[in-house]
Amino acid sequence: MLLTRHGRVLRLLVLGLPLLAIAVSIIGPLAITLIVSFWQKKGFGMVPAFTLDSYLLFFEGVRLEVLQRSLWVAVSATVIMLLLAYPIAYLVTRRVRAEFTRVFLFLFAVPFLVNYIVRTFAWADILGRTGPVNSLLIWSGLVTGPVDWLLFSDFAVYLGLVTAYMPFMIFPIWLSLSGLDRRHLEASWMLGESPLATFWRITLPLSLPGVLAAAIFGFVGAFGEVAVSLILGGTGYQLLGNAITSALNVLNYPLAAAISSVATMIMLTLIVAWYRLFDIHLFLGKIMGRR
Amino acid sequence: MQDHMFFSRRQILAGGAALGLGAALNLQGRMISPAFAAGRTLTLADIGVGDTGDWTKFEQPTGNKVSVVSMGNGPSAVVNQLVAGGGRSIFDIINIVGGMQKPLVDNDLVLKLDPSRMPNWAKNTYIKDYLGKGTPGFNFIGYEDTIYGVPTILQGDSFAYLPEETGELDSYAALFDPKFRGYVSLEDNYTTAGQKTALFLKKAGQADIKDPANMTPEEVKTVIDFLIEQKKAGQFRVIWSSFEQAVNLLTSKEVHVMDCWEPMVFVARSKGHNAKYAAPKEGYLLWALAAYIVNNPERSEAEIGDTYALLDFMLGPWYGAKIALLRGYMTNPGAVEYAKAHPDEFSAEEATRVAEIIDGVKHKFEQGGTWQNRWPTHVDVYEEEWQRFKTA
Repeated sequence: MLLTRHGRVLRLLVLGLPLLAIAVSIIGPLAITLIVSFWQKKGFGMVPAFTLDSYLLFFEGVRLEVLQRSLWVAVSATVIMLLLAYPIAYLVTRRVRAEFTRVFLFLFAVPFLVNYIVRTFAWADILGRTGPVNSLLIWSGLVTGPVDWLLFSDFAVYLGLVTAYMPFMIFPIWLSLSGLDRRHLEASWMLGESPLATFWRITLPLSLPGVLAAAIFGFVGAFGEVAVSLILGGTGYQLLGNAITSALNVLNYPLAAAISSVATMIMLTLIVAWYRLFDIHLFLGKIMGRR
Repeated sequence: MQDHMFFSRRQILAGGAALGLGAALNLQGRMISPAFAAGRTLTLADIGVGDTGDWTKFEQPTGNKVSVVSMGNGPSAVVNQLVAGGGRSIFDIINIVGGMQKPLVDNDLVLKLDPSRMPNWAKNTYIKDYLGKGTPGFNFIGYEDTIYGVPTILQGDSFAYLPEETGELDSYAALFDPKFRGYVSLEDNYTTAGQKTALFLKKAGQADIKDPANMTPEEVKTVIDFLIEQKKAGQFRVIWSSFEQAVNLLTSKEVHVMDCWEPMVFVARSKGHNAKYAAPKEGYLLWALAAYIVNNPERSEAEIGDTYALLDFMLGPWYGAKIALLRGYMTNPGAVEYAKAHPDEFSAEEATRVAEIIDGVKHKFEQGGTWQNRWPTHVDVYEEEWQRFKTA
């Protein structure tokens, strides 16, 4: 009886302390940001208040365009990344022998060994007018002069986002696919379904929790991106992260907090949707090695 | 056993007492004389241009050490580091581009200065010549008739170009010349790019702007409308935001004309590229780097004295010569003479170079232009309008 009580206390401590730490370190700053977003900017500081001024400034000014662009770029980049990440994860799951799977997955993690700002600057060198890509195109006779749209363009921003976040998306999709019960696939085959129909009706639906998790990783990364748009975007390519930095530059903390809060709400909505649509325990169970 | 002991009990007790006294003195450091205060470390937060890399000339005679830490130059970066980043208790001096006394003083982040505590202040004729009260330059070191900053560097900015691609250029008009369409870059900063554009529009008679350094909301809108028009015509290749990015744009010939700082041209040249810094007929964007004493209420009078000593050293001729040579900026009037008189520390070529650099910047100030305004009256309008330009 005593042991059970001690066990409960121990369990409460072991689980409770990390949860408390998470609450303080993650939820705390988010709550403070939300509160500050309603405060009044006064001089170089702010005073506690409940005003929607910062939200009005955000939604009535040019920053609304930045929000719309950020949403569009993040959604479209996520779709592109999914279209690339899914086939890669599928091939690693189905076509790569089990003993080589870790090697392949490690290869996709290699880019993360280089700082991502450095990687982004490297793209600027590679895609520039005098960079290797343009030099090769000119040397091969495919073009007569440098191709300007390779750098400081939408193309460059999407390339930067895809190379930065797509590798993150392979892992949850691979987890979903590798956790599929093969008996479902065999049953489909025995019932006469073609491989394509099996994919559409069995594999894809069952891998959707991983796909949505991957989509969230990609979307959140792309939506909050600052460096890629700054380095590869050209003439003031503004995403939401840049707008927050810009507000901070004039010490407008309530505005920066309001933009951050809107971004957080959008991302939170996605996570809640994922939680409501899919069985998160099933997905986490796979990560933890349980079926 | 006793023979093998390094210290007797008496020695240990005496040592313990000494340590205790030392600790007590350290804790009570604010109460002791300046002589006892020697041996502390002064922390200088710098934006990357004020570090000589060698502070022994200050450290040896004073017994104090100098620790240089990096800090951002943006107004928010400075204020944030002082308010929220613990900077008030960590930094003794911040060495940043001057002109943002208003947020620093209004937030009680820096101390007002007593120039009489710095012997080199009176010797620095540049302060009177370029930064005197009642002149636009005063805004870089003072606020409401009170001095807060020590001017460590003076400079006039214009733009860089690659003469082999563009020919010789002598006007900001080059930034907007259709001949260079798609090969121009601006800095992501309305107090530099925006103000240079305003200076150009005013001098070219293309806009009615009374003071490019402190524009009315309507004037800011006029400048931004012009920039948006240029942007939509494809004039600008990119808006740069970091030193390395700007240097790369020049060295890779991605752009041929660039609104930037002179040290970027120095770096490009050191890499073998023929880049030039323009002498525009419209004048320069003039500015000064200022060192401020951070307002730390815990700091003792003795510690403030040590901080003044470091500020005075930064106004001194050795520091001035070294920084001029390293960064290409004008520093103080004693720098040239010191470099010439100390061949053991500065070679003849280096002394000549220091003189050339300082003469070059003096010439810029003689030509004039507009003083950069880091915190214009309608700063929020500047910010909103700059957002409009970038988003367009």
